[in-house]
Amino acid sequence: MYEEQYQPPHSHWLEELCALPGVSGREGPVRDWIIAHLPAGAAYRVDPLGNLIVNGGQEKVMLCAHMDEVGLIVTHITDEGLLKFDHVGGIERAAYLGRQVFVGKNALPGVIGVVPVHLLRAEAKKQLPAQESLCIDIGADSREAAARLVKPGDTATFEPGFTRFGEGFVQSKALDDRVGCLILLELLWQNTGLCAVFSAREEVGGAAAAAAFALRPRCAVIIETTTASDLPGVSGAQRVCELGGGAVVPFMDRGTMYARELYERAMSLAKKAGIPAQTKSVIAGANDAHTIHTSAGGIPCIAISVPCRNLHSPGVVMRESDARAVFQLADLLWKELTAQ
Amino acid sequence: MRTLTAAAGVSGREEDAAETAARLLRQHCGDVRRDALGSVVGTRPGRGPRILLDAHLDQIGMAVVGHEPGGFLRVAPCGGMDARCVAAQSVIIHGRRDFRGIIPAAPPHLKHDGEKSPEWNDILIDTGLSDAAAEIPLGSRVSLCAPPRRLLGERFTAPSLDDRTGVAAILRCLELLGDKPACPLAVQLSVQEEVGGAGARAAAFRAEADEALVVDVSFAWAPGAAREEAQGTLGGGVMIGVSPTLDETMSEALEALARRNNIPYTIEVMSGRTGTNADRIQQSGPALPCALLSIPLRNMHTAGEIVDLRDIESTARLMAAYLTERGTA
Repeated sequence: MYEEQYQPPHSHWLEELCALPGVSGREGPVRDWIIAHLPAGAAYRVDPLGNLIVNGGQEKVMLCAHMDEVGLIVTHITDEGLLKFDHVGGIERAAYLGRQVFVGKNALPGVIGVVPVHLLRAEAKKQLPAQESLCIDIGADSREAAARLVKPGDTATFEPGFTRFGEGFVQSKALDDRVGCLILLELLWQNTGLCAVFSAREEVGGAAAAAAFALRPRCAVIIETTTASDLPGVSGAQRVCELGGGAVVPFMDRGTMYARELYERAMSLAKKAGIPAQTKSVIAGANDAHTIHTSAGGIPCIAISVPCRNLHSPGVVMRESDARAVFQLADLLWKELTAQ
Repeated sequence: MRTLTAAAGVSGREEDAAETAARLLRQHCGDVRRDALGSVVGTRPGRGPRILLDAHLDQIGMAVVGHEPGGFLRVAPCGGMDARCVAAQSVIIHGRRDFRGIIPAAPPHLKHDGEKSPEWNDILIDTGLSDAAAEIPLGSRVSLCAPPRRLLGERFTAPSLDDRTGVAAILRCLELLGDKPACPLAVQLSVQEEVGGAGARAAAFRAEADEALVVDVSFAWAPGAAREEAQGTLGGGVMIGVSPTLDETMSEALEALARRNNIPYTIEVMSGRTGTNADRIQQSGPALPCALLSIPLRNMHTAGEIVDLRDIESTARLMAAYLTERGTA
């Protein structure tokens, strides 16, 4: 049965996990950290695309959470020593103007600069600065000074900003999908023989399909985060889902028609156990199920997500009670799917 | 700088910043107190004309103007907040005590123009509290939250560098003066600059000074800005203001001193009002010639303001040289 106050023993790992830099394609630090925190005796391997596969044997069910996060990638160094950049994954630039970032393997601090509003004409004040006009300012005075420390292709992550606030809320970068990684890790600690994939590159298309192809599970459960827009002024279906409403189990999104049988099973399990669960009232978003469900001749998928505000920003917001609901539902579902 | 920028002081609620600044100012001035509007004032004895030093204590932020269900707040800007930069910005809400919160970003699936800046009517704060109204009364101030951090070289980023760097420059100047003779000083670390300069105007009346030196920040050049508008350079030294509203003799004396003492400087030319307390101090009552020294700053009025710490030093050195010279004149 659902235990509302049950706090999985490794919940305190969330802050550390969120702080790790892991922009898509550069998941190394996250992968290494997870490997170091696997339960003793867990067998693992890393595939050529960077997926971390734990207990990949004769499994029937594969659970998956992605290690990567949205971020920035340096494309050019200007004569003045500033770094031009592009987005890795979908980010709206309104969410990072004037914010701190950490660039490259040495986590060099920088700030995304903006021309002060005082110096803009009236019309320009209402517009966001053009993406191509933006730079990361690391404090270098010249191209040479910057190039000694940064090179094009280096990625940048947002300042972690991990903060607990309000009544059980958390804000941080990279909650998408480090909270999923934490839940998956917790599932590994509490169950033996659970097959987990910590996937790479989800935010840029996804490498998880390769892991699914190698494992050929009977079905896959994706542990994710999903957009909630439960804000004042947004009503009805447009709210998508609610923080505090529990685990989000979608029947469909922009990437996947989830397996009907799995959807109904998850929902009825939640109901029976008293685990708060909700579905999405807008067909939006996508996750690793998108590529997994067409891999290896077709793999039925279900997603169980933590509802989050400000997804894909430096300040993603979630509620810890929702993560607990996702953990308990995923745990129950895995037990039921593997019991047969 | 870390101590000064760690204290909060959104215009009109400067208590925290004032307390910190007063503590630091007491190391140099014997009679530090807060005046009727809340500015921190102090004096230093000396010989010669009495000179008023001003920097503002307050920082831009927001004020809570409404409560919404679900623990959300409606806010209005307090000072010239840049609405373009607030989405997903972490904040500190100065309610009955300090609370953390965040400004929600527009949900991606809802129709919004990704090229447009958010408008204040649409900007909310997420408190995560079930009863925010009980803890956060209307009028509570909200400040931007970002950790102070060193960048390469002497560059430093934090919110509220406008104008805690000015406060730091005055404190450093007093430190450089030490026990050396200089002209008598009235120091004011004034409140409410970002909302019109009432603090400086009121405090200057009581300073009974013969002239005033105002220290604020100004625009350092960055890509996208016009060189004639953003005339400062990070690391390029103190900016000496030249404007029809500023005293020409003082500006020229400052420039000559900077040259003579090898203090790096640039000239900042303005065609009228300076947008600083220098505009206000001259309306305080007695005729008070004013000069303006500015510390170059990037990303003004965002959470990511940047200064070069060497520019604080050159500002302090130039002030100290001026005060020493005027004291022996």
